Amino acid sequence: MKVQLSLQSRERAKLSERPLVAFVGNPNCGKSTIFNALTGLKQKIGNFPGVTVEPKMGTFTSGSRTLRLIDLPGIYSLAPKTPDEEMTARVLHEGYKGMDRPEAVLFVIEGTNLEKGLFLYSQFARLGIPTIVVVTMIDAVKRSGGVLDDIALEHELGVPVLTLVGHKGIGLDEVREELVRSDNFTLPRTDNLPGDNIEERYTWARKLSAEIARIPEEDTITKKIDAVVLHPVWGPLIFLGVMMLFFQSIFTWATPLMDMIDVVFGFAQSIVESTVPAGLVQNFLSKGVLAGVGSVVVFLPQILILYLFITILEDFGYLARAAFMVDRTMGLFGLQGRSFIPLLGSFACAIPGIMSARIIPSERDRLTTILIAPVMTCSARLPVYVLLITAFVPALQLFGFINLQGVVLFGLYAVAALSGLLIAKLLKSTLFRGSKLPFLMELPPYRFPSMKSVAMTMVNRAKVFMKSAGTIILVFSIVLWALSEFPRADIPAGTPELDAQRIQLEESALGHIGRAVQPVFAPMGFDWKVTIGILGSFAAREVFVSVMGQVYSADVSESDARLRDVLRDVIPLPVALAILAFYVYALQCMSTIAVMKRETGTWKWPAFAFGYMFVLAYVSSLLTYYIAMALG
Amino acid sequence: MNNLPVGAPARIVGYQVHNSFTERLRELGLTVGTMITVTRKAPFNGPIELRYGRSHLVLRAEETDMISVECM
Repeated sequence: MKVQLSLQSRERAKLSERPLVAFVGNPNCGKSTIFNALTGLKQKIGNFPGVTVEPKMGTFTSGSRTLRLIDLPGIYSLAPKTPDEEMTARVLHEGYKGMDRPEAVLFVIEGTNLEKGLFLYSQFARLGIPTIVVVTMIDAVKRSGGVLDDIALEHELGVPVLTLVGHKGIGLDEVREELVRSDNFTLPRTDNLPGDNIEERYTWARKLSAEIARIPEEDTITKKIDAVVLHPVWGPLIFLGVMMLFFQSIFTWATPLMDMIDVVFGFAQSIVESTVPAGLVQNFLSKGVLAGVGSVVVFLPQILILYLFITILEDFGYLARAAFMVDRTMGLFGLQGRSFIPLLGSFACAIPGIMSARIIPSERDRLTTILIAPVMTCSARLPVYVLLITAFVPALQLFGFINLQGVVLFGLYAVAALSGLLIAKLLKSTLFRGSKLPFLMELPPYRFPSMKSVAMTMVNRAKVFMKSAGTIILVFSIVLWALSEFPRADIPAGTPELDAQRIQLEESALGHIGRAVQPVFAPMGFDWKVTIGILGSFAAREVFVSVMGQVYSADVSESDARLRDVLRDVIPLPVALAILAFYVYALQCMSTIAVMKRETGTWKWPAFAFGYMFVLAYVSSLLTYYIAMALG
Repeated sequence: MNNLPVGAPARIVGYQVHNSFTERLRELGLTVGTMITVTRKAPFNGPIELRYGRSHLVLRAEETDMISVECM
């Protein structure tokens, strides 16, 4: 074995029974791909308060030996410049927040980016942690006509060096073998390391890189793709095309899946209703639990598709290019290029939007993006908009071909998007003011994404969502169910089903709360029934429709038209418009609040978002009401 | 550096300021003496793309201002 030949004289480290092995390397060097390949589904996302990029942890078992693996955020140097880098540095130095210092490190260097990897290594080696080095993307080196002498590198570094072929998994078996042989990690050589100064270290890294590898100066494939993708004319067109596809996919491709989930849960509800005897238990199972779980699961398709898209675009290398192109425009609103993707995603659902804000390295920009994400018109507002618009806006044709209802709907989207960006501007010039953060981004070489890695990311994100949003929505919908079913109302026998439901709701705790809270909304003419709708939709906005159906004894599922007619009779136009204005801004979504808490690590920001959005909703609703009244 | 035309090779001769940002630029390989080329400028005074070796880095004009270069 070559490893033993070249490292015969090196002292081997003795690791413990279940050693903690950390993956260290530059951002984008391919270490997450190796990590995903080794751990498979046996991984979880570590939760470290205050850190945006959470390290993934997992186990790797081969034969009788198990290793605990941790994938640390990629770094350029051990002198941290961001909280994420600080975490990696702290873990390597002394352990961090309950995590031990790793016993050994798998140091990953990208083959086409040897200099940066070796530069980091020159600092890392002094930490004295037993190490194995893995050089990735050997195929990319060879494809561009280069070669790499891994044995010379082994001599020079004093630790085993393994090579990996891009994403094809070739070489992974060897990595597996070497990892489980407990005595394989070796202490890095320190006698030939450069001093601590940056220039000295880069000179060392460049010299070593030139000695052990011949790599062409330019990546011709990336250059060719960039000539098109970043072309002054084609670039923006491709960008628009990608964004349209993205938008389209979250709406169109997700819809059949979401409908299917609705059907499945409807079916489950009907099974419960036919097997469990009628009464409170049946009602609880069907309307409390199943409806609650259903309202969580229904978001999954959109979240998965959004992540599929973002992960592929990011791994391929396009996301950085897109950020490069829109940076100037987003800069007008105090944001940066990378804020674009989370905000676009928020048009489907603020939850994946907020979760994907992790791609923004600057903390202030990330918080701003998270805080305005729920202002973007998510798909849960759509049922409310559609109900009220079809009930109150006449289906007039403007200029013979533009539908007035469509214009109003578009107006609501546009107003929300514009307000979001203006709020961002405001936040950045007040709360998040400070010396302008420098902007710096690497454009990675184009690569084919590893489908396994993409799938792992999707599974992980789905898990996070189900755990953080799912539990809250479920609890909230059960509480809401209890509030609307208790105390039980006296309903005379023989009352029609729909009327019985209405009476129950009126007499329930929710009904009483609605009446008690109603004075708050009285200035814009909301009566207690509308107030109940608004309270009910704190679980999720679309609940407004079903609560309205219940409160007005209209069966929503059978014919929307009936509810529309009823609403048109009982709610004056200015009030209806005021409700619309309220829904444009109000943060009526427990799951968004839960995810915001998770992603920011504190309740402060969700509380702030809820507060400012409520004020906006209230004021705009009031204004709309008075303007509509004045115009008659 | 901002006056550097696209495609013209140049060499970094120094930094106008020394802070954690310029330290990061050096850690990324933009050390004094490094050869660079401006490969692209985004429209409307947008970000600038630099190439050095196989690395491509995007910076805003305000930031490239801190880097002193000499044309070759």
